[in-house]
Amino acid sequence: MNEKIKAIMEEVRSRIGSAGSEAELQNVKSSFVGKQGSLSLLMKDLPQLEVSLRAEAGKLLNQAKNQITELIENKRMELKLKASEVSPDFDCSVPGLAPRSKGGLHPITQMCYDLNDAFRSMGFEIFQEDDITSELYAFDKLNFPQNHPARESMDTYWLEGHDSGKTCEKLCLRPHLTGGSVRYMQTHKPPFRFVYPGRVYRNETTDAHHERAFFQYEALIVDKDITFTSGKVMIGSILSKVFGTDVPVRMRSGFFPFVEPGFEIDMQCQVCGGKGCSVCKHVGWIEVMPGGSPHPNVLRAAGLDPDEYTGFYVNIGLDRLVMMRYGVDDVRLFHSADLRFLEQFR
Amino acid sequence: MKLSLDWIRDYVELPEDTDLKKLAYDLTMDTVEVEDVEYLARRFDGMVVGVINEVQPHPNADKLRVCKVDLGAEGEKEIVCGGINLEAGMRVAVAVPGAMVRWHGEGEPVEIKKSKLRGVESYGMICASDEIGLGDLFPSAQEAEILDLSALDCAAGTPLADALDMNDVLLEIDNKSMTNRPDLWGHYGIAREIAALYDLPLKKIEPYVPEASSDFKVEILDPERCARYIGVQIEGVEVKASDYKMQSRIWKVGMRPINALVDITNYVMLATGNPTHAFDADNISDHIVVRRAAADEKLLLLNGKELELCDDDLVITDSEGPVALAGVMGGAKDSILPKTQRVILEVANFESTGIRRTALRYDNRTEASARYEKAIDPERCDQALALSMQFFKELYPGLEVTGYCDLFPTKLKRAEIDLSLEWLERRLGKHLENDQIRRLLERLGFDVQINGDDLHVTAPTWRSTGDISIKDDVMEEVARMYGYDNFEATPFTTSFSAAINQKDQDLLRAIKEYLAIRCDMQEVYTYPWMNDRYVNAVLQSTEGVLSLSTPPAPDLSYIRSSLLPNLCEAVSKNERYSKEFSIFEEAQVFFDRNYSSPYDPTEALPEQRRHIAAAMAGAADSVERLFRELKGALEYMPRYTHMEGFSFRKEEKPVWADDVVWLNVFLGDERIGDLGLLNKKVSMDCEIRNLAVMLFELDVTRLKPLRSRTNRFTHLAEYPETDYDISMLFDSSSAWTDMEAAAMEGGELIKRVSFVDEYHGKQIPEGKKSVTLRLTIGSKEKTLTSQEIEEAAGRVMKKLGKKLGAELRAQ
Repeated sequence: MNEKIKAIMEEVRSRIGSAGSEAELQNVKSSFVGKQGSLSLLMKDLPQLEVSLRAEAGKLLNQAKNQITELIENKRMELKLKASEVSPDFDCSVPGLAPRSKGGLHPITQMCYDLNDAFRSMGFEIFQEDDITSELYAFDKLNFPQNHPARESMDTYWLEGHDSGKTCEKLCLRPHLTGGSVRYMQTHKPPFRFVYPGRVYRNETTDAHHERAFFQYEALIVDKDITFTSGKVMIGSILSKVFGTDVPVRMRSGFFPFVEPGFEIDMQCQVCGGKGCSVCKHVGWIEVMPGGSPHPNVLRAAGLDPDEYTGFYVNIGLDRLVMMRYGVDDVRLFHSADLRFLEQFR
Repeated sequence: MKLSLDWIRDYVELPEDTDLKKLAYDLTMDTVEVEDVEYLARRFDGMVVGVINEVQPHPNADKLRVCKVDLGAEGEKEIVCGGINLEAGMRVAVAVPGAMVRWHGEGEPVEIKKSKLRGVESYGMICASDEIGLGDLFPSAQEAEILDLSALDCAAGTPLADALDMNDVLLEIDNKSMTNRPDLWGHYGIAREIAALYDLPLKKIEPYVPEASSDFKVEILDPERCARYIGVQIEGVEVKASDYKMQSRIWKVGMRPINALVDITNYVMLATGNPTHAFDADNISDHIVVRRAAADEKLLLLNGKELELCDDDLVITDSEGPVALAGVMGGAKDSILPKTQRVILEVANFESTGIRRTALRYDNRTEASARYEKAIDPERCDQALALSMQFFKELYPGLEVTGYCDLFPTKLKRAEIDLSLEWLERRLGKHLENDQIRRLLERLGFDVQINGDDLHVTAPTWRSTGDISIKDDVMEEVARMYGYDNFEATPFTTSFSAAINQKDQDLLRAIKEYLAIRCDMQEVYTYPWMNDRYVNAVLQSTEGVLSLSTPPAPDLSYIRSSLLPNLCEAVSKNERYSKEFSIFEEAQVFFDRNYSSPYDPTEALPEQRRHIAAAMAGAADSVERLFRELKGALEYMPRYTHMEGFSFRKEEKPVWADDVVWLNVFLGDERIGDLGLLNKKVSMDCEIRNLAVMLFELDVTRLKPLRSRTNRFTHLAEYPETDYDISMLFDSSSAWTDMEAAAMEGGELIKRVSFVDEYHGKQIPEGKKSVTLRLTIGSKEKTLTSQEIEEAAGRVMKKLGKKLGAELRAQ
């Protein structure tokens, strides 16, 4: 009996091992433990055995039966896990599907929000002002001399029918943001620090590098002992936020009526790394923004005592930064409302 | 402004081995922006002086000659040339093969090649002056005239740049960067600045010692507009060419040599920055008077312009009337003419703003007016006079000075500024020793007195015309002389009192991000001005709309009172490329009303608001979907961006909207915007061909952000809720809001009622529509049996039937 069971078990193992499907397993099951299965037949022979051997043989037969059932179950699980739901020819190189949303913010808005986040983290407020301003705030309060060329109509968009001869009533689309900064200074108590994003307007001929409407981002800090060297930190924050790395910066002498001292601020050309290329006209530096300490006359116009307070200001052209960030070569695209352009910045 | 380095070296001893890149860098960092450094000789790379040995006719062409030219080291070569003045023994400029020549000194270099001209091999090319950019320096009398260099004493093969003394370097300076530094206009001024930066000695221009006083007379009647006037009468001059050095320097920096008398005045202006003028003394009757013009006076300028003067114009006159527009341009009457033998030299100082007004008034800006406009110090006349007289004597050794008069009625006071060293140190953020401060300022020509903490500074005259006037100016001088690069960045100190909480700013950003990211819309920017076509189509009225006095184009004069015209234009432009898209814009709008200002009681600013508007464009048959999507964007906006919610009502149809598909948006009782379908006519007027366009516009200024998020948590249902859909027939005109309200009256087991769809079709009788409602049914106390659910739904159907006449759809 023992021998017979062993032989059966051997056969069972080999047939289970070679079984590749559920049907085959079913087959194995019926040919050994089914009604006419070889193990079942042995069970039926049990009563014919000698009584002394019967108990032992019954035990062995039962063990064998359990073992077979277990082997089949194991194999069944194995087959189940191995089976794939998809064809082996499934093509994983097919492109993925785009997220369903096709909306997006304008690239200049995105840049503006990036900078807002950086300046907010340094305790700057965000300031917003109206697009239409008066000559009083656009020029007088900024220390522009009476005969400054920027006041002429060829540079500024003056409003029709608003030239009474008084600068507080003569209106224009703001030519820069700095006049708005005076409004902030007038209505807040120093020390303060704020950023002021906005669109400005210049009456000029447009081409790939010149626009009639463009975006500036002004940052101003006023306190008792700010020196122009603090400005370097402000500038560094802007550029590292935009380019994701520390960009070498230089400040050089520059003249603007509303600052004293005034600076032109250059950054190392990010195209050639400062070696000189056509983008930077072979000098390795690109002029990115003016800056400086607000002129004492500007502080006075804002009701602050220039002997007590000073500050630092920068004003960066957002269009220019976005152009550098993405390599955009025509500034007019920003106002084109052309979705083929805007969709690239989602 | 272009400057010649050779010329600068006349006045400052720059070491021979000066690194020009560094010089340009230092000037850029500390003073003015040097835009370009040009090695002039490079314009003449590959060009040499050749001597023509023989001129032969060309075998195949009448107009060409074959020249045998001695090129020095390269030997004698044959060159084919069409010049009309070729002669044996002539020295000419030759561009040899392999030379890279920038034609006319511009553009990309082109390689000169050996080539056959009408069958004869030519070794390079014999050049005319304008072919190599020298047309202004060596004007040719007629066409096809070759540049004749026979006057030069140089061997065949000499590089052309050496022969013409062109081994100079030109610095191009950005004029804008020195508008506030009139002292820098001119070679002497830049030399003075370089001397200060590098602590080098500056050469003095020795003043002219007057040789004649006589009874030569000049009168100044307006000393405010003319601070100084020097007149010198010189006899024994003639119109002839000046010397090559003067000519070439004038040419190098971009002007044209004319004749010795004119060249001297231009050279002196380029050297000192002070314009001068020469009158033909024979054309001046009696003596010179500087005065304001009378209103009826006329003046014919040198350039042929006839001016009708006004009493704001300063003029130089003789007894017959105006002879020159002071500081701007000479008159035709007094001009240097070919027969001029006596001149009156004018070296004068005119007030800047008057010159600017006059030059602008007649649209007649000149090299002279550009310089006077910047405010020149009157002391500079001394240098201009000294240089002028030096050149007159060099060019006309036999001249005689027969008259001299120096009127200086308005002296310039040197600017004096007091500041404290403590203030200076605080603003610089750095301690500098007293001696260092003194030395830095003295190098710039300032007089410095230090007394304890007090610093008393007197600016030199050339910095006293407005440039240096307050203590911040002195601080800037110290800082830039010390070098901006030498100051370390100092972080600013922070004193946080409270976290920044700007609800309005946050709301605006939340709305834009909501529209872009959740609502699938692309943000666009358009200009503040609107095209007349879209104003007429969309707004249909310009009442209360502001306009520009000098618009970018005649049909772009109105500035927006609504964002919709420009959005419609954007839809029209994008229709070509896309059949379905959504865009939005946030910007300011302006209204011709409510003039006031919170900042200054005298200021009169118009009403300005901030709007946000969106356009959703899609196929003409998708109106229903577009409407629900755009309305959805508005309905969910308050919930997602945390502001007070809106309601929708029909109160006043926007002029651009379809008769049926529109709503006004309300916040409380205030109308804050509109929503609707662009009507067919407006669409056509906007050149939108096929798309249906759904629009909304909201006044962002009126939105009310919540103080914090206010929606309350609701407990999860303890017992299951079941969705149960019912479809019923309603009158076509029934409104969903009424159905929803009626259904909610179906008992407390009805938790929510939502819209599934609406159907009009073949199986639906005329005047009816089928609406499917989804009832969410549940109880707080127990799990409902299916019978209880059916009963609840039944009560709803009954209510709908009773209130709205709804019938169950026949299956």
